[in-house]
Amino acid sequence: MAAGAFGYRPPGRLERATSTRLRIFTMLVVALLLSSVVWARLAYWQVMRHGQLTQQASAQYREVVELPAMRGAIFDHNMTQLVVNTTVYSAFVSPDQVPAAQRLHVAAALSSVLGVDQNALVSTLSSTRKFAYVKRRFSKDKADALRSMKLPGVGLEEEQQRSYLPGIAPGSTLAANVLGFVKYDGSGQYGIEAQYQKSLGGTPGYISSYRDLANREIVLGSHTHQDPVAGSDLVLSVDANIQYAAEQALADGVKKARAESGSVLIMDPKTGGIVAWADYPSYNANNFNQTPTAAFKDNVLSYVYEPGSVMKVVTLSGAIDKGAIKPSTVINDPGALYIGGYRIADWDGRNHGNINYTYVLEHSLNVGAMKAMQAEGHQAFYSYLQGFGLTQPSGIDVAGENFVPPPAADKMADSQYATTAFGQGVDVNMVQMLAAVNVVANGGKYAPPHVVERIGNKINPVMLQAQRQVISPDAAKQMTRMMEAVVQHGSGFTSRVHGFELDQAGKTGTSQIPVNGKYTLNVWASFVGFLPSDHPRFTMIVVIRKPNVPGSDKDWTLNDGYFTAAPVWQKIAQTMVVSWHITPDHR
Amino acid sequence: MISTRILTRRRLGAAGAQHVPARRRRRTRGFVQVASKVTADRLHLNAFGHAYLGLGAVLICVLFYLALAAQITQSSYEIARLQDQQRQLLAEQDQLRYQEVTQHAPAQVQGAAAQSGMERTAPTKYVSSQPVAIDLKAAIGAPPTDMTPLWQRMMAAVVNRIVGDHPVMAATR
Repeated sequence: MAAGAFGYRPPGRLERATSTRLRIFTMLVVALLLSSVVWARLAYWQVMRHGQLTQQASAQYREVVELPAMRGAIFDHNMTQLVVNTTVYSAFVSPDQVPAAQRLHVAAALSSVLGVDQNALVSTLSSTRKFAYVKRRFSKDKADALRSMKLPGVGLEEEQQRSYLPGIAPGSTLAANVLGFVKYDGSGQYGIEAQYQKSLGGTPGYISSYRDLANREIVLGSHTHQDPVAGSDLVLSVDANIQYAAEQALADGVKKARAESGSVLIMDPKTGGIVAWADYPSYNANNFNQTPTAAFKDNVLSYVYEPGSVMKVVTLSGAIDKGAIKPSTVINDPGALYIGGYRIADWDGRNHGNINYTYVLEHSLNVGAMKAMQAEGHQAFYSYLQGFGLTQPSGIDVAGENFVPPPAADKMADSQYATTAFGQGVDVNMVQMLAAVNVVANGGKYAPPHVVERIGNKINPVMLQAQRQVISPDAAKQMTRMMEAVVQHGSGFTSRVHGFELDQAGKTGTSQIPVNGKYTLNVWASFVGFLPSDHPRFTMIVVIRKPNVPGSDKDWTLNDGYFTAAPVWQKIAQTMVVSWHITPDHR
Repeated sequence: MISTRILTRRRLGAAGAQHVPARRRRRTRGFVQVASKVTADRLHLNAFGHAYLGLGAVLICVLFYLALAAQITQSSYEIARLQDQQRQLLAEQDQLRYQEVTQHAPAQVQGAAAQSGMERTAPTKYVSSQPVAIDLKAAIGAPPTDMTPLWQRMMAAVVNRIVGDHPVMAATR
C-alpha cells in the first residue's frame, strides 16, 4: 500500500542487474578517468618534464666545482722569483642567518678585525639581503682571526692573488711595466702576464661530486675528477738587480731633469734578451685596482717617439756598409741644406766647414747625416731601414707594442728622407731603436728582442732562430770606432764610465716633440750605447721625455741627451760593470 | 639429507664420474643452489621460509651496504676536513714563500744594508786600465777652423738674408 501510495515498485531482477552493471560501469569509468588523470599527470612529470626535474634534483645534491689551475711563476735570469702566488681571503655575510640579537656583536667583531665601518655593517646585517661582501682580499692572519671567532652568518672565501716584489719606492713594484698584473678573474693584463696568459694560466680542472645538506662532499656515488694542469713557469732574461738599479737611476734622472717621464731598456747584444726594462713613473702592481689606468701605459713599447740623432748610427752604418762613405770621408758642412723646399740646419746652425764623418757623428751634425743618406741613395737608405727593423714592429714578446709604419719608399718626399736620416719625422718605439743600434754591437747581425728565455722546460723559439746579417762585421766595427769617438771627443762625454773611457761606444739623441704638426721646444732626450765596445756585454738606451732642466728656458741645449739621458746611462752602466764583473778589452 | 644426485655420484665413485658425458656435467647445479637446497631440506623450510630467508639475506646486504656507506661518508668528511687543512697550510706556505722572496728582493737588500750603515760607493779602482790618452775633463771638442772660402760664406749670408728663414723641420742633436 505504502509503496503503491508513493508509486514505488520493487525492481525486478532484470532491472536490478542492469542498475548494478550501470553503477559498476559508471564507477569504472570514473576510476578510469581519475586514474588516467593521475597517469597523465605522472606521464607529464616523468616524461615531459623529465629533463628539467633531473636538472633540478641534480643541482640540489650534485655539485661541479672548478679547480683553478695554479698560475705559473715568473723568474728572472738568475732564478730570482719575481712573482709569487699567494692566497687571500674575502669575508661575506648572510644577513638572514644572523639573529637580530647578535647583529651588534657580529658587526663589532668584523669591524675590529677587518677595520670596516661598524655602522655600515649593522645596516647591512639589518637588511633583507641574502649575501654581501664585508671586505675583499685580505691576508691569512685576519682570516684566521675571523675563523676563530665563529661568527654566525659570516663566511670566508679563498682567492688567489699574484704578489710582486717591492720596487724602488713604497708605491711601486719591481718591473711593473714589463710584467703587467693579473686581474681578480685570473686574466693577465699588460706586459708578460697578458702576452703569456695561455702558458701561465694553465688549464683549470673540475670535480663533480655529491653534497649533503651541509654542503659537505660525499665520496659515495659517481664522482668525476679532472685535475687542473698548472701553468708553465717563465724564466726571463731580466736581471732583478740590474732592473732595480735601472729603476733607481732613472727615477733620480727624471727628477733631476724635472722631466715628464723616462724609460730605460737594456739588452744582451748577442741574444737580444732584455736585461732591464724600466719606466718612471711606474705603479704598484699589488694594488692595481686603485691605480689610474693611464699609469699602466708602458712607455718603452707603447709610446712612439722621434729618435733624433741616435738614428744617425743607422744612417751612417748603412752608408758605410754600402760603400758610399767611410768614417774618414771629408764633406763640407755649411750649417744647413736646402732639400725639397726646406732649409734643414744643424742643431747649432753653424758652418762647420770641411769635416769627416767621424766628426759628424761626434758632434751630431744633421747636414752630415743627410749627405750620407744622399750618397747612399734613397732606395738603399730605405732598405737599410728595413734591415735594421725600423719599418716593422719589433715583435717582442710583451703585450701592447705600438708601431707607426713609415710611408712606402716611393711615397716618401725628399725632405722626409732627409729628416729621417737624422731621426726626425720618423716614429719608432724604444725596443725598435735599441734593437737597431744593437746591430752594430752584435757584429752587424740583428738579434730579435725578447724577454722570455724559457717557457716551462722549453727554450723560447726566438732564441733558436738564425740572426740576419744587416751590415758587414767590418762596417759594424767602423761604426763602433765612430761611436767610441762620440764618447771620447763628442757629445757622449757625460756617459764615460771609469775604466772604460777608451772602451765604450755611444750616441746622444735629442729631438723636438711635434704638437699639431709643429715642433715645440719640448724634447725627447736619449742616449744609446754599449760596453765594452769590442765585446759588448750590454746595449742600453735611456730616453727622458720633456726634460725641463733649470735654465733651459734660456739655453734649450741643457735639455739635451748628453745632459739628461747620458748621466743616467753612466750610472746604470757603472752598476752593471760592478755587478757583472765586466773588464775592459785589452787592445 | 643427502640428495639422490649426490648419492648416485658417490655410488658411481671416482671411476664412474669419469664416464659422465660432458653435456650432463653442464646440468650440474651450482654450489649456491646445492647449498641452499641442502639448507632448506635440513631446516624443513617451506615456500614462506624460503621467502623469509631471501628477505633476510637482502636485509643483511642492505645493512651491510648502509654500514659501508656510512663508513665511506665518514671518511669523505674526514678527507674534506684534511683537504681544508691542506689548503690552509698551502696558503701559509705561499705567504712564507712571498716573505722569503721579498727578503731577497733588491729593494729589501738595499734597505737592510742602508739600515746597518752600509753605503754603495761608485768604484773607481776596480780595474786596471791603460792610461787614458784623452783629456777626460775637456768639454765637447771645438769645431775645426772653417775652411770654406770667404766668398762662399759671404754669399751664403747674403742669400740667407734675402731668402729669409724657411720652416725648419727640427733642430736635433
